[in-house]
This record gives sequence, structure tokens and C-alpha cells, in this order.
Amino acid sequence: MKSLFKGIVWGLIAVLFFTTNGWGFGRKKVVRVGINAPITGDIPKVGEGTKYAARMWLEDIENAGGIEVGGKKYPVELVIEDNEAKAESAVKANTKMITEDEVLVIVGPQSSKQAVPAGDVANNYETPMITPWSTNPDSTKDRPFVFRGCFLDPFQGPVLANFITEEFGFTKTAVLYDVASDYPKGLAEFFKQSWEKIHGPGSVVAYESFTTKDTDFSSQLSKINKSGAQVLFTPQYYNEVALIVQQAHELGWTGPIVGSDSWGSAETVTLCGKDCYGLFFSSHYAAAGAQGATKEFIERYEKKYGYTPDDVAALTWDSLRLVQTAIENSGKLTGKIKKDRRAVRDALAKIKNFKGITGDMTFTEEGDPIKCAVIVRISDKGEYEFYKSVCPN
Amino acid sequence: MDNQDPKFQLSTKGSRARLLDFVAPIPLIGWLLGILAAVLVEYFLGDYISYYLGLPKIPVLFGFLTVLKKPLLIPGTMGYMILVYGLPILIIVKSLQKPANKLAAFLDKRRVTVAALVHLALFYGALHLWADISDYRLLVIKLAMIAIMLTLSINVINGYMGEFSCSHPGFMALGAYTASTITLFFFANDKLFGEALLPEALGFYFFPLALIAGGIVAAIGALVIAIPSFRTRGDYLAIISLAFLFIVKSLIENLEFVGGPRGMSSQPDYSNLPMVFTVMVLCIWIINNFVRSTMGKALNAIRDNELAAEAMTVNTRKTKIITFMFAAFWAGVAGGLFAHVLRYVNPGSFGIQRLAEILAMVYFGGLNSVTGSIVGALSINILSEALRPLEIYKWIIIPLLLIVVMLVRPTGLIAFTEFKPKELMKPKQNKVEV
Repeated sequence: MKSLFKGIVWGLIAVLFFTTNGWGFGRKKVVRVGINAPITGDIPKVGEGTKYAARMWLEDIENAGGIEVGGKKYPVELVIEDNEAKAESAVKANTKMITEDEVLVIVGPQSSKQAVPAGDVANNYETPMITPWSTNPDSTKDRPFVFRGCFLDPFQGPVLANFITEEFGFTKTAVLYDVASDYPKGLAEFFKQSWEKIHGPGSVVAYESFTTKDTDFSSQLSKINKSGAQVLFTPQYYNEVALIVQQAHELGWTGPIVGSDSWGSAETVTLCGKDCYGLFFSSHYAAAGAQGATKEFIERYEKKYGYTPDDVAALTWDSLRLVQTAIENSGKLTGKIKKDRRAVRDALAKIKNFKGITGDMTFTEEGDPIKCAVIVRISDKGEYEFYKSVCPN
Repeated sequence: MDNQDPKFQLSTKGSRARLLDFVAPIPLIGWLLGILAAVLVEYFLGDYISYYLGLPKIPVLFGFLTVLKKPLLIPGTMGYMILVYGLPILIIVKSLQKPANKLAAFLDKRRVTVAALVHLALFYGALHLWADISDYRLLVIKLAMIAIMLTLSINVINGYMGEFSCSHPGFMALGAYTASTITLFFFANDKLFGEALLPEALGFYFFPLALIAGGIVAAIGALVIAIPSFRTRGDYLAIISLAFLFIVKSLIENLEFVGGPRGMSSQPDYSNLPMVFTVMVLCIWIINNFVRSTMGKALNAIRDNELAAEAMTVNTRKTKIITFMFAAFWAGVAGGLFAHVLRYVNPGSFGIQRLAEILAMVYFGGLNSVTGSIVGALSINILSEALRPLEIYKWIIIPLLLIVVMLVRPTGLIAFTEFKPKELMKPKQNKVEV
């Protein structure tokens, strides 16, 4: 018994001795920025883009010697959490970052599936959060602390409907979408609504659906072929886009196929090949032929990670720059995290005409940005070319 | 008792035997008191201790999160664990050994219910203080308790009855959506159902009813699995139940009034710690009684040989129907709690991935065992949270662990045991000297 007690005491002394921090005391004041990204799970490429953009941003800050608030420079730390592309994990990650790591502001999660519940957490704890890529209106709705970095589906639907009408002069369209996934379904509905507003009811001649992970679309595509549609709209993710476009061409579809921002991944052309050349989609930015800061970002990213950044990386970059501007504008960091978070939130809401690499942004009261959409054409070399910019009026 | 003799003996024994000797005379209530003391130390002194040891904050999940990110903090974290958990537990447990045994003996003479309630109250007190330190801890522990309910309820089918059912996420989804619909419809202003019909203050008291309704809907859904199970077993039933899972998921995806693939959000915050804890305790209690009843023995008979069981007057049809509905009921209740913890449900949460998680927990913990289910659910849940900083490597470590467990103990960690609360709460020193 005695020797056990002795052992414990010596052990404790040893522990105290080795905890070097025991001599240092004090906890440094740092600005922590949380990143909630799907690093594992269904969409790891999205998580990777997020992580890389964040690391590039941190590099910039470190080179500048920290973030400057009220004449003082503070070091910045990134807290990157994996949300496994699951709602429950995104909620856990947000709670952890807010209560444990005491982050000042959170960037992420990317998909609406995670951003809607995670935004609820951020809003309850009064922590500002920007979701760069979530297009579901619910993510920011009635949540003063939640912002987003991209335009919404109710904007994108009409943009595409107007573009097709003006560009090709078509009056009959077909839509093919995934009924089990919230993003394609929502966008398909908004597109249908605005198309029918322009061309009258019945002008969407085929409104066909499938379920996630389907790989054979021949029955839907045959129907679309027979329906007399002049153009096919399919707001799908990159892996499905390749299949849909290739199968449509095999079945003799000759009209144009138009997509949405979910086409914007670098993988689309890799998988789809020549079939996708010459097609149009709406997006947040176009990599080929970019100018100024956008070009600089793309070149730096390419040099560092070896591939062209997709829209997630660009939007994450913009969100982080927004966060940086807001922190710099917040006036003073008091060290009281609640007060600082509120100050950053107020500064974020006040940002006007922010010059981002995905376009200029001004936040509405809901925390959604007013920004332009870009129509991208896939060039004959498979690059994403800027074709046209459509701004809200 | 002689004072000198045991001490002399101690020193000659191996360390394992010494440890056993040290632990053996401590009753459960002693351990609970020790844990309570440790939690109190953390509650009042945790901040100072972590500050002195150079830790950024109180380590939430036993230090895993900090240590894996910053290995430099290992000594500090270990020191914290010893100071806050190790020492207080040891000191209290040893110094209160006699009174604790007396107390256990006193409770042993009362009804089991009374004794169990005293133990549970103590445990809840410790848990509440522990979860009070950080909201992250609270969330993790709430989800872990829900996982216990799910694991336990699937164990009734897969473990005790020996069928291979894959429809558990489906039952969970039915419960989650039913309970959410009820609370959103009656007690919350939201965009799906509009204004609240009843005053919001009543919501919390009606929440158990919403949970029960969710359970009942899940149980009705279970009939779809129970009826084909009269004729099929094994792989075939697995396929049928898997089909059921997909049917439920597609159904919800196509039901516009519950939000379709976008899901439902902003459920009221009714799943607080006391609520989840109470429901979980009820779940463990009732399931434990169920599997120890005659019906429970009938389940084992069906598992071992259905024909023989039928011949021995077991009504296999009735048993199967009741078991499926009973297990589905608890999965539905767990789903309802889950929806109100996350305050968001979407059909995507109840797919194959959830099934894999539940199955991993039940086979890791052990078939045919209540303790095993609790251990399995807790360890997989806490482990996957504690290893979060490892990102992708987490998905190598946890499956590896599963493989190792399957190799070493093919039926799971703690399989085929009976959970006897009365035995557990017994005093450990029979004759306490006065």
C-alpha cells in the first residue's frame, strides 16, 4: 500500500515536471477559425478542395504575420474538422469547435444536408458561420448568425431558363433530375417554374426523375427524345452528368444539354470526355480565361496541388477572405469570445461590394449574397470557359 | 480478521491478483460514489488543474482529442486524468468501502426497484455534472445513449432471436419522422405545418407521447417484416428487411408534406439529458425483463431450432410478431429522440451507412447480451468521436478493431450473458464488521 502511494506521488511529480507548459502559464490570445468539411465520406473531393483553399489562406495570413485588428496583430489557427458528409457528424463537429476550440467563426459545411442542421447549432451558440456552397434557402433562413458564399437555387433556376430562351430561342424543354437528392430536386422545380412563367404551362414537355445511384437512364432519355424537347436540363453531380450525357448521345439526342453549378467539378470532363464539349452550365466562376485575382488564385492552387481548383475551393477561399475582412473590420478583439463573435457577425452583415474571386458580393438581411452567376461553356479542349455573366437586378 | 496476514500475502502475489483483491470488495454503489467524487473534482477544480497542467481546456473525451492533435500535451493530459479521475476514484472507493458495503447490504434487503433507483439517481447525478462541463460532451453522450437503445433493440432480433434483420434504420426513420411531425404540427411554428396548434409550453410534456406514437408507427411497420419471417430465415429475411429499409427511405423521399429529400428541420429542443437518460433506462429495463421472461427463452429456442421449438409448444408465429414489433418500437422511440437531438432529419440519414453502424455496434458488443450491447454502442460511439482528429485513419483503426474482435471473440466482446441488476448491486463483503 505504502509503495503504491509513493509511486503515485513520484509519478505526479514527474508529470508536473514534464508538462513544460506548467512553467509557462497563461493561454495565448489567438484567432481560431473553424473549418467544417467532408474530408471522408461520399464527397471527399469537396473536402479536399476546402482544406487546400483554407491552407492557402492560412499561409497568406502567416506571411503577413497574423490578422490585424485594431492595430494589433493576432496569430491565426485553423481548426479543421471532418464531418464525414453526415448531418449528425457535422452537428458534432460544429458543437465541438464552438464549445471546445472556441473558434471565432466557422467556414463550412459545404452541402446543404450538413449546413442546415449545423447552421442551427452555430446560430444557437451565436457563432458566425459561412457556408460556402450550400444552396438550400433553409441554411440561412431566420438565422442571423449564418451566412452563405454562393447564390441560391431560386436565383439560379430563372438564370438558366432565361439563358436558354435568349441564347437558343427554344420553347420546349425537358428536365431529368434525381428525385431523392435535395439539391437537384429543388433546382429542377425552380427551373420548371421559371420556364413555365416564360413559355406558359405545358412547355416543360418531359419532367423525368431517377433515384440516387441509378446508372441506366435509357428509359427516361427515350421518353425525352420522343417528347419533342429542344433542350435537356439536368442539374446533376459530376458522376451522373457523364452517364446522362453519354447515354443521351447514344440514344440519338442531338440538342444541347444544360447543367447547373454542380457540374463545376474538375471530374466532370475527365469522366465525360468529348461528349461534354460545347455544353453549357451555370456556375460561380470560370477557371479558363480568368483575370486578376481569380487568375492568381487558380495559378497558385494549380502550382501547389497539381490541379485546377473547382468552385468549392474558390467559394471557400472567398468565404475565408470575407471572414478575414469581417474580423479586421470588427474593431477590437476583447478576448471575450461571445462579444467578439457578435462583433464579427455584425461586421460580416455590413460588408458591401466585397471583391471576391467568384464575383462581387453584398449580403442581404438573410445573410445571402447578391452576386452574379457565370454561364460556362465547356470548350473543345475540355476547359471551363467564361461565356456570359448574369447578374440579379 | 488478522491485520498482518493479508498484507504479507499481497506482496507475494502477482500484480493482477493484487488488483483483483483490491477491486473485489467494492460494491457497485462504491464505484458510483467514487465516480461522483471524481466528477465533482472536475466540476469545481477541473479548470484550475487543466490550467496548471498547461492544457488549453478541460479534456472533454478523456484527453483523446487534445492528445491526438498535439502529442506534446500527453504528459499534461495523463496528469489530469490521474489527478481528476484516477486519484479521487481510488481514494473514495477505498475509504468508503465499508460504508458502501453496508449501504449495499441495506439496499439489498429492499426491493430491486428501490435499489436500482438509488443507483440510477447517483449515476445520473454524476452524468449530469460530467455533461455540464461542455455542451460537446453533452451532445456526444446523448447520441451515445440513443445508440445504446438502437443496439439493444436490434440485439433482440439479431442476437436473441437469431434472425438477420437489416431494417433497423427504417424503423428508426419511421419513429423519427412520426415524432417530428407531431411536435412540429402541434407545438412549433414552422414552414411545413404553419402555426402551432397547442401552446408551446405544453410541448415538452407531450413529447413522450410523440415518442410513443413514433414507436407505434415503427412497430406497425415491423409487421411487414414479421409476416414474411414466418417462411424465411437467414439470407432471405436479410434481403426482405433490406428491401423494407429502401421502401421506407424512398417513401419519405417522395412524401412532399414531410419535406421530401430536403428533410425536416427546427424540431423543438425536447431531447435534453434527463429525457434521453430516462427513456434509455426504461428501454434497458424493459428489454432486459423481456429477454429474461418466458418469451425471451422462447426467442432463444427459435434461434437454436425453430422446428424443435414449435414441437415444444412455442408459438413461433406469435413470438416472431411480438419480437419484431417490440424491437421496432424501441428503434422508433430512439429515432424520435435522435430527431430532436439533431433537430433535423433527412431520409439520407437512415440509409445503409446507419445500418452498418448499428450492425457494427451489436456484433462488436456481443450477441444475446444486454451488457454487450451497452458496451458495444458506447465503445464504438465514443471511440469514433475520440479518434476524430485522425480523419481518414479513423476508418482504418475502427474496422481493424472490429476484425480483431471478430477473430478473438467471434460472438462479440461480451456475448451470451444475462444482465442481472440484483447481482450487480449486491454488497461485495458478505460479513461487514461493525
